[in-house]
Parts: sequence; structure tokens; C-alpha cells
Amino acid sequence: MGVTVLQPYQIPEGKTGAQAIDFLTKRLLALGAVHTGQFLVDCETYISAPQHGPSKAVHVLHDSEYPVTTFSILDTGTGKQIPLVADNLFDLLMLKMTSVYTSKKQTKIESKGARFEYGDFLIKLGSVTMMENFKGILIEIEYRPCVVLFYCWEMIREVLQSFLGVTVAKEYPGYFTSQPVVNAMGQQQLHAKQHDIYEPIDTINQYLEHFTNYRKQNIMPQVSSQSSNMSMNTGMRVS
Amino acid sequence: MANMEKLNATLNAVKSLRSSVRQCFEQLADGTAAEQTEDNRTKFLVEFQENYSHINQQLREVETLINGLQPSLVSSYLGNTTYLAQEITQDRQAMYSQLVNSYKWIDKVHEHSLLAFNNLNLNNLRRSYTYCSQKRGRVQYTSCNNPDPEFIDNLFYNDISHTNTIYEVCRQFSSNAVVFATISHVLKAAIICKGVLIEWVTVKGYDEPMEIDDLWTESRYEVFRKVQEHTHSAMLHFFSPTQPELAVKSFMTWLNSYSKLFLEPCKRCGKYVSNGLPPTWRDLRTLEPFHEECKNC
Repeated sequence: MGVTVLQPYQIPEGKTGAQAIDFLTKRLLALGAVHTGQFLVDCETYISAPQHGPSKAVHVLHDSEYPVTTFSILDTGTGKQIPLVADNLFDLLMLKMTSVYTSKKQTKIESKGARFEYGDFLIKLGSVTMMENFKGILIEIEYRPCVVLFYCWEMIREVLQSFLGVTVAKEYPGYFTSQPVVNAMGQQQLHAKQHDIYEPIDTINQYLEHFTNYRKQNIMPQVSSQSSNMSMNTGMRVS
Repeated sequence: MANMEKLNATLNAVKSLRSSVRQCFEQLADGTAAEQTEDNRTKFLVEFQENYSHINQQLREVETLINGLQPSLVSSYLGNTTYLAQEITQDRQAMYSQLVNSYKWIDKVHEHSLLAFNNLNLNNLRRSYTYCSQKRGRVQYTSCNNPDPEFIDNLFYNDISHTNTIYEVCRQFSSNAVVFATISHVLKAAIICKGVLIEWVTVKGYDEPMEIDDLWTESRYEVFRKVQEHTHSAMLHFFSPTQPELAVKSFMTWLNSYSKLFLEPCKRCGKYVSNGLPPTWRDLRTLEPFHEECKNC
């Protein structure tokens, strides 16, 4: 388990999502990466019933990299997030709680695609879909031997640039630079995470952050109009 | 104690034997008096015979004393192997004395090879006077195979210190130490020593388990397997049987330069990643980072 960075990929003008994934796959293979199967990260959100006070949301996420784990993040609505890492049985528990938390089916979002290994790097090209609608490309890159982003950010940046063909900003990704934490005095303050030891929940938090952004987009801003109504059935599923 | 007294008496007897032999020879060297009379000659002969019988008597005395001495077993203390002397089975009882003997031989071989090393190291082409006396060599000589256990403890807890590194000395296998070094949040290394010499180094990632029972499995990450290969070549490079302490110190300084394993680009090509790996080689003198394929060009 090492440091993971998520990078949304801007689809070039005039290309469909499938073409962009194809292009990136070719580049990765040319670089010397090895194709090692598929991956899937999904997220479902449950909203609390109105009779139980102010609305709260529970985001339940699964990551194929942690096959027997269910991650859940409770959003209290006041900006505070409580993570819970549990067994797969947690899914059944959520089904029992339908009177309190109801699933918002139309917001079920997932990122799936091919998984590549390059040295100790793990690179995943994910197509993000919500209700079978293609939303964009999210690239996950993990450098497994290293546990602190500060040490290996330059390495990750270099590999990202080498196959994306675009310049990646020198600054650390947003998730690492400003994380609200509650200090010992009970006050919230911003904490830079780049020196912390990385944990799996950090990956999940990043996915949730990006998924929330995708959900907010009603139209597809990066892709030109003729492909904007493209669904997964048009060959987006990379398998 | 009785043994000590006997030993003392024997030494005294040997001393007096030597002095009588010396006296005898002195007398022989002086020869007879100036005038060659019959009297003088017989006197000389009688004196010589007296001396001679005295020497014979003393020699016999020394021999009987020596026969009375018992070879002592506890003369040399070889760590836990002393327990071998207390073995009950007959055929194993002799093992400890053999062990002591071979240990003494090895020690002698060490000493001689050290002298040979010093002599061979003298550069014949250099004309100026090289100061490399035997005495100096002997002072530096420490037995690398059987040092004081406290010596290693002291070395790692007091003498060697690097800001980002935590050392932990573990002594699971009798007196030989295994040193665990955790370098920053980057890597863990197990340094397996035999005496003060480094025998093996295992390198693993910060998030991988490193236990005393499992010192030999390789890291699951390619980068640390590569680093381990490089530590082995550095271990051989710094190896110095005459100054084992210095060898360990320089090796640890070198190893500590891996605290920036992922942080520094290659000095030659200026890149961070090559073939999926960071610069895994560190120059032995300058500690500069290089990719494995860049270090030789």
C-alpha cells in the first residue's frame, strides 16, 4: 500500500472517451507497463429520512483493490466527515436501515477500467459513469513502496507526464494541501497532508471528492456536443 | 589456586636453571687463570663439574615440576561454548579443548595475516619513509570474530547516529547482533553482523513487516530488492578486516543516504524515474544518486 494520486484527464477536443482510453493504453504499453486485469471503484449515497433531524448522507464505497472491505463516510452536513472501514457485511447492514437511510439510486457512480503495473507503480485508467452515463476519465496512480506523498510526488508527476503528454502542476494535489482536521481544542483547522503517512482511506476520500465533483456536472463539459450523450453501450466499457 | 602456586614454583625453577646455565657459560668463557698450572686446570674442571651437576639437578627438578602441572581448561573464555566443557557424554568432552586450540590458531593466523597485510600494503615505489611499524598495526588489531557484545551496542547507540534513523540492536542468535535500522519513513534494513563484520543486509519497505524470525525473505517491491543488491556490493566495498569498526561506520553513513531515495533525481540524466525505478544507486564516496544504468556511463 502506497501513495495514490487521482488525476482527472481532460479528453482532447474531437475525441470520444473510448478513443482517449485507447490512446492512453497504447502509451502506457509503449512505456513498458504491463496490463494486469481490471478494477472497479463504486460509490452509493444514502440520505437520512427527514424525520431524523437535519439531513445526513452516508457514502458507501467499494474498491476492488480491497475486495473484502466496505468503506463508508458519514457526512454530517456541517462539513464534518466521519470515515468507517468495515467488512463487506456492512452492505447488508445498510439494507436493514432503509427506514433511516434511503439510497439515492440515481447518484450511483463508479469508475472502472484497466489496471497496469509499471515497476512498482500501479496505474488505473478509469472511465467514470453515473447511471450508465459517461462522465469523464479519472486516472489513479499509486506508487506502492512509498508511504509519504512528499517523498515521491516528483516521481509520480514525472510518470503521469510521461504517458499523459501534458504538464502536471508542480503543486501537490488539492486533497493533500488543505484538509480540515479538528485539533485537540475542538477547533477546525487546515492541515497539509503531504507529510503524513498514507492510508487506504485517503484513496477513498479522494475518490469521493472527485465523484462529488462529477455528480455536480449535469452536462459534460470536456467532450464536444456529438459525444455528450454517449452512454456506456457505445463501447466505453474497457474490458 | 594450588595450580597457580605450582606454576609459580615452576617458573622460579626455570629462572634459576637459566641463571645457572648462564653462570656456567660465563665460567667457560672466562677460561682458566693466566698461569697454566696443573692446579688451576683441576680447579677449573672441578668447578665446571660442580656447575654441570647443579644444572642437571635443576633440570630434573624443572621436569618433575612440569609433569606435576595440569593443563587448565578455563584459560580462554569463548563465550557460550564454555558449556561444551560441561558435556556429560564421553566423546564430546574433548571438544572444548580442541575448540580453544583452534581458536588460538585462528587468532595467530589473524595476527600473521595482519602483519603480512601491513607489509604488502607498503608501496615499494614510494621513496619517502612510510610509517607503518608493527607496533602500530598491533594496537589497531581487534579480534573481529569475538568482540565484546557491549562493543556493538555502544557502536550503534552512541558512535553511529543519523538524524533520520532509528537503530535497534537485537541479540537473538547468541552473541551475534542483528541491527534493525529504520531510515526516515522510507525503508527498513536488517544488518546481520558476525562480530563486528557485516554478514548480510536485508532491505524492505517502510510498510512491510521486518521481524527477527523472518530476516531472509525479499521485499515485495522491486525498488527495495534493487537497493538490497546495491547494499551488498557496498558491504563488500567497505569491508575491511583490519578496521572493522570504521567499515561499519562508513557503511552506515552510505546506507543512510537512502533517506532521500524517492526525493532526489539522478545526477546523470536528471530524471526521477527510469524503467519504473527511482535512482537506486548511491555513489560510494560522494553519496550522489544514480540510476543503475546511469552509474557506469
